Amino acid sequence: MAVDTLTMTVLVLIYLAATLAIGYIGYRQTKSSEDYLVAGRCSHPVIIALSYGATFISTSAIIGFGGQAANLGMGLIWLTVLNIGAGILLAFIVFGKKTREIGHRLSAVTFPDLMCKLYKSPLLQYIAGFIIVISMPLYTAAILIGGARFIEPTLGIDYTTSLLVFAVITAVYVVFGGLIAVMYTDAFQGTIMLIGMTVLLAFTLVAVGGFSAGSATLTIMAGLVPKTLAAQGMSGWTVMPELGSPIWFTVVTTLVLGVGIGVLAQPQLVVRFMTAKDNKSLNRAVLVGGPFILMMTGVAFTVGALSNVWFYQTSGKIAIDAAGGNVDAIMPLFINQAMPDIFVVIFMLTLLSAAMSTLSALYHAMGTALVCDIWGRGRECALSLRAHQAGIVVMMVVSTILAFLLPVSIIARATAMFMGLCACAFLPAFAIGIYAKVPSTRAALSSMVSGAVVWFAWTAFVHAAEAKPLGLCQAIFGTPTLLGSPWTAIDPIVIALPVSFVVMGFLQLQCSADQPVAEATA
Amino acid sequence: MILGIPDPQIVIGYGLAIGLALACIVYGWLHWNEEDDSNGS
Repeated sequence: MAVDTLTMTVLVLIYLAATLAIGYIGYRQTKSSEDYLVAGRCSHPVIIALSYGATFISTSAIIGFGGQAANLGMGLIWLTVLNIGAGILLAFIVFGKKTREIGHRLSAVTFPDLMCKLYKSPLLQYIAGFIIVISMPLYTAAILIGGARFIEPTLGIDYTTSLLVFAVITAVYVVFGGLIAVMYTDAFQGTIMLIGMTVLLAFTLVAVGGFSAGSATLTIMAGLVPKTLAAQGMSGWTVMPELGSPIWFTVVTTLVLGVGIGVLAQPQLVVRFMTAKDNKSLNRAVLVGGPFILMMTGVAFTVGALSNVWFYQTSGKIAIDAAGGNVDAIMPLFINQAMPDIFVVIFMLTLLSAAMSTLSALYHAMGTALVCDIWGRGRECALSLRAHQAGIVVMMVVSTILAFLLPVSIIARATAMFMGLCACAFLPAFAIGIYAKVPSTRAALSSMVSGAVVWFAWTAFVHAAEAKPLGLCQAIFGTPTLLGSPWTAIDPIVIALPVSFVVMGFLQLQCSADQPVAEATA
Repeated sequence: MILGIPDPQIVIGYGLAIGLALACIVYGWLHWNEEDDSNGS
């Protein structure tokens, strides 16, 4: 690599010291369980926006999806459209304000707790908590693997030590400082990410001669699209894949819809709304959040696609060939080869920030779900600081063990799976529940269970990307998938989310129709 | 071809992404001091 290990180690240590110092400020401000769980419900709008954005954007979004844009083209910009349109505007304005109001009124402290109090159903809290405790370690393990894979070559530390150090340092400030420490450090890390991505965009545009010139060159390079991708519907990096082709299904259903919609019902993000003092804070957070997300995913996808131009002009190869066929290696390779040394340092800190901000939020969400929503539900211990600290440590250990067991190529797949499951299980019950006059418990339970079950069935038995490596379908039915093309390319969220919404909507309407009759009878 | 991109779907995608980010700024600006109807307490 371009920068020597000693320089990088010193800068990373300074960064970690600053992070821990900010975490310590959060620890000093944490006096009660409400501080620990929902940051005292008085977070500053800029902190909310940066924390939400930094939690939302992990290393996977920059490296994994940036690499996908280099491989599949600029069509991924539609994910940025959904990230801002759904992930910020819809999330903050339509869901965020209601969530904050209801969260304050019912004194909800976690996402499952909100669902329980909204629907007056402890069972719902158990189920939501259970889904979090089961599925979130998978996503957490993916973030840990990504972080360790980056630390290993950067600082010259072996993979096992990298993973353990990364897991423990992040856990330290989460365990002691709770959500205040998490959000303060998120804001610091979000600022580093913003600087890093801004510099990355500027250097890339200079390297390819500007956006228009770079895109025009990329358009001319359409004939260089690998034969395997061309056969599946890709005809260039500046055009959308052929409608209905396997690549189109991958780009539109898995990458754009799966991740774009999945963000709406992620427990660790929903909790951010409950940390706002008033709706004015959420309005102000929108102002920061939209441009922040544009500068994260919009820049990653643009730089990823344009990197083909730079690689071709300097080595005569397209990005995926230059990276030896490894999509995840494209962005780091481009940074290392195309950028000045000082930027390599900034970008490494950007990646570390992206990983730690997401990881800290996941630790907090898992630990509080374990203690508040499952183990101590309905009891006084559900709000005990010590119990929550123990819960976070337990979930950190579980995630770390899982990270050692999972294959290293799981990062992007685990991210998409977690987001898909969250959307299918939680989104209809959450979205309709916060607006319904009389939310139906039966509708929410049925929606949550049907969404999760259909998502799992499609994942394990139909969607080839997961069904084949899982091997469950092969073991039971003797075939890798139960259905053929194009179904095997359609993401589970496209099937399971509508099912979950239909179940929720139908039973909720039935409940609403029964309500006047019940009132009249009474 | 706009900005070197031949496919209108990609151009619209870029336009929407930037437009929505601007919409976030405008929304936040216009509602900067908007008081709540309900403070939830």
